[in-house]
Amino acid sequence: MKQKMLFFLSGVFLFVLVLLLTGCQEQPRLTFMVGGAPNELAFFEGLLASFTAETGIEVALIRQSTDSTQRKQGILLALRGHRPDPDVMLLDVAWIGQIAASNWLEPLESYGINREDYFASIIKLADTYENRLIGLPLYIDGGLLYFRRDLLQKHGFAGPPQTWSELRQMAEQIVPVEREQNPNFWGYVWQGAQYEGLICNTLEFFTSAGGGFFNGTATPVIDQPANIEALRYMNELIHKQPISPPNTFTDMKEEEVRMHFHNGNAMFERNWPYAWGLHNAVDSPVKGKVGIAPLPGFMTGKSASTLGGWHIVMSKFSDKKPEAASLIKYLTSAPVQKKLSLKLGWNPGRVDVYEDEEVLTANPALKDLKQVFNNAVPRPIIPYYSNVSQILQKHVSAALANRATPEESLKKAQSEVQEMIKSYGIR
Amino acid sequence: MASDNFLQQYEKSEVRTAWIFIAPLLLVVGIFVLVPVLGTFYTSLFLDVSYLPEQFVGLRNYTDLLSSPDFWQALRFTLAYTVAAVTLEAFFGVMFALLLNEVFPGRGLLRVVILIPWAIPTIVSARTWQLIYEYTYGIMNYLVVNSGLVSERINWLGTEFGAFSALVLADVWKTTPFVVLILLAGLQAIPEDIYQQAKVDGAGLFRRFYKITLPMLMPVLVISLIFRTIDSLRMFDLVYVLTGGGPGGSTRTLSYLGFEAFANDNFGMGSTVSVVTFVVAFAITLVYLKAGKFSEQLK
Amino acid sequence: MTREEIIRSCLIFATGLFLLAFTLGPFIWMIWISLADRADFLVTGQVEYSLSNYRQVLTAHSLHFLDYLSNSLWISTITAIIVTLFSSMAAYAVSRMRFPGRSVVPLLILAMSMFPQISIVGYLFEMFSKAGLINSHMALILPYIAWTIPIALWINMSYFTQIPLDLDKAALVDGASRMKVLYKIIFPLALPGIFSSALLVFIACFNEFLFAIMLTIDYTAQTLPVGIALFQGLHGEIPWGNLMAASAIASVPLVILTLIFQRYIVAGLMGGAVKG
Repeated sequence: MKQKMLFFLSGVFLFVLVLLLTGCQEQPRLTFMVGGAPNELAFFEGLLASFTAETGIEVALIRQSTDSTQRKQGILLALRGHRPDPDVMLLDVAWIGQIAASNWLEPLESYGINREDYFASIIKLADTYENRLIGLPLYIDGGLLYFRRDLLQKHGFAGPPQTWSELRQMAEQIVPVEREQNPNFWGYVWQGAQYEGLICNTLEFFTSAGGGFFNGTATPVIDQPANIEALRYMNELIHKQPISPPNTFTDMKEEEVRMHFHNGNAMFERNWPYAWGLHNAVDSPVKGKVGIAPLPGFMTGKSASTLGGWHIVMSKFSDKKPEAASLIKYLTSAPVQKKLSLKLGWNPGRVDVYEDEEVLTANPALKDLKQVFNNAVPRPIIPYYSNVSQILQKHVSAALANRATPEESLKKAQSEVQEMIKSYGIR
Repeated sequence: MASDNFLQQYEKSEVRTAWIFIAPLLLVVGIFVLVPVLGTFYTSLFLDVSYLPEQFVGLRNYTDLLSSPDFWQALRFTLAYTVAAVTLEAFFGVMFALLLNEVFPGRGLLRVVILIPWAIPTIVSARTWQLIYEYTYGIMNYLVVNSGLVSERINWLGTEFGAFSALVLADVWKTTPFVVLILLAGLQAIPEDIYQQAKVDGAGLFRRFYKITLPMLMPVLVISLIFRTIDSLRMFDLVYVLTGGGPGGSTRTLSYLGFEAFANDNFGMGSTVSVVTFVVAFAITLVYLKAGKFSEQLK
Repeated sequence: MTREEIIRSCLIFATGLFLLAFTLGPFIWMIWISLADRADFLVTGQVEYSLSNYRQVLTAHSLHFLDYLSNSLWISTITAIIVTLFSSMAAYAVSRMRFPGRSVVPLLILAMSMFPQISIVGYLFEMFSKAGLINSHMALILPYIAWTIPIALWINMSYFTQIPLDLDKAALVDGASRMKVLYKIIFPLALPGIFSSALLVFIACFNEFLFAIMLTIDYTAQTLPVGIALFQGLHGEIPWGNLMAASAIASVPLVILTLIFQRYIVAGLMGGAVKG
């Protein structure tokens, strides 16, 4: 008898424990999941505080890392696990296709959120799924060339390079001289580590050589000659009379690149617009010495900039949908979008902000940027894009690490992408 | 006859009580290990991607996996990593255990100090090693450049071999203490008079090591190495932090490959990698068990 | 001194020094960076030392470091308690009672512990998704129990078998139940073994990473290893100073536990290893 009771008790014990520990955690709360550089997170924290002050709705910030692969993994696992949190999150334009096609996003129009004020082409490309609005561009990004205006002048160059070979020549001339004072000085820093940023850079190199990843949306053309040429150039930047640091293909992500340039250790930098504000911050060593320009091309006028940017969406599994909608409305409202632009140097998804006097005085570059975004090249917006990206990352990285020739690696990438499409049964 | 007799000796109430005592353990292990293992196998037979309709594909995930160069790369890497790490751990393990078995001033301190790497969480040690290998201001480059070993900084995590050695070194640092502890206990079990006798017979320091210490230490060494092997074959955390699988996907272990598939929402393929990882680990364990006559130890 | 003795002292000195440098080097580097105001001082030569990294990590609410720490402590403690309970019951049955299967059960359980974590984590994710447990403490406690219980079983078994069976018999004759025997007689006598198994379980859970990164989403459930792996500080690229301070704090509980209870830990490892 006693033993039966013990058995029973231990069962009950386990059961109660399960209930207790799950039950007490399920207080619905409004959460906003976002990653990024520390100053960006601090900015969001401030925004959320004023949102709470304005609406009385409490909201918790869930910090993610700056690494966009890790950000994506965190979001995918939360959505696939049907979690009520996070309610609102930011999605990279590169993954929004996959997540929308998984049917994990709440259509926004029934909450009174509409699309009129935003770049129509981007809404059409990324923020609608089966004709329903599922997201809004919080900000738009495109790759830019940052350069040291002072050094360009000092070495007698009239302006930033138009072509990649010009960039090379300038670097080859400037770097040896600058190294005499600063042994850590490099010519060109860009995002070469094995992660999504590498693909953004790769797409720019490829497109500016006349290549690209896909013909339309379904036929991969990864191993075309233009791409191979471009990849060879990327490899040579690191290995042949190096003008990019040897750890480009292991360490260089946005922040590593930015800090390199920021500390005065690089002549040219490829980065997103966010770096502009930071380079010109009061305590920045390169304050006032920085210029921006479109990235070079393999021929003059062939510049290409990868379309980046982050889109704000609501989870279908949210347990605070009306509150989540208010948060989305708040973060995409004109005053906040203006603040994003003024404080972080981000480029608003709203069109009307580009006309704002105050914004234009603070950031005169914005007018030109609008041009860059209009011509920006999107990564393929397809549900299986991340598989394509993963295959590309692996092979481009192998070519940069000298583990395969550019030709070999792109041939392999091409056949692996074809295999993948076939095995997924995608037409 | 004898066994029949034996069987009858079970007391019904005692048998029932015994099973009740074991039940909670079996229940947890059953639900949270056995069911997931079977479930993983089941999932591995499906195309399980959230944006496509779930679809039974039979063994296609397996044929896809086995024909993918990624898999063979990961398998090769996992095996090479295991062999390198376990060999070095055996070497340093024996070396340190011999030292700590001697009598000398400061031994007590060293016996405590050796536990520190073992006590530090793997992720923390991975982050520390990440900083040690850092290209621009890591201490490793500082040491090799300033000591004149090399003229230029080395990009430790940038080459396949560099990343490989970096991972192995970080693992050896963290887990050698485990091997040392077990070997030390083995050493202490060797009776002192065997050494005295050998000394009288005129055997030198090194001869005594080869003729007495090593053979008598062998069983314990094999056991500790089995443990280390099983552990190394499933290594994940060091790779996640130190290399993220790079450069060029060359440092992905089988576990990392599986995680990557899961985290990219491809649960069918993730499960397939998991099943194959399990089979590989299991096969190697069996070989070890046979080679080390481990089953006798279990009695 | 004979020649052999000289060789011996030299070897001891050299190996001892090497051991000291090898084991302590990275640890000292971690502490050093955590106290410095910048991580690149080897190159720049400029550095100031203070506790500000520690202060930031512990007080900056937005880093959630204390959340990670308390999640880790809770999850590891609860797991260790439940595992101790269940494994000592099972170890008692297997080592002191006669029933068919008593030799098979431990081997079977041992075989389970050989499954790599990756081979169960995917399906655990699916199970916990359906149960709504993802991102809860329970999502880690339950698999941790199952994952650590085999080693605890073996350690406890090795201790229980050393206790004479006559003690049980005497108590049973006096009318005590098996449960009472376990908790009144075996438990106190095998306490060092039970303690060391609980300690090892605690350390294993405190360390675990793969389950933690796949089954939790945010700071309400994430443990220290995940927090540190995804750590972003308050400024700069990888904020090494903050990160190393966090790492040092994360190591402290385990290092202290290990140094204080080293005898039990060594005994536990031996019990688990030699037997299992």
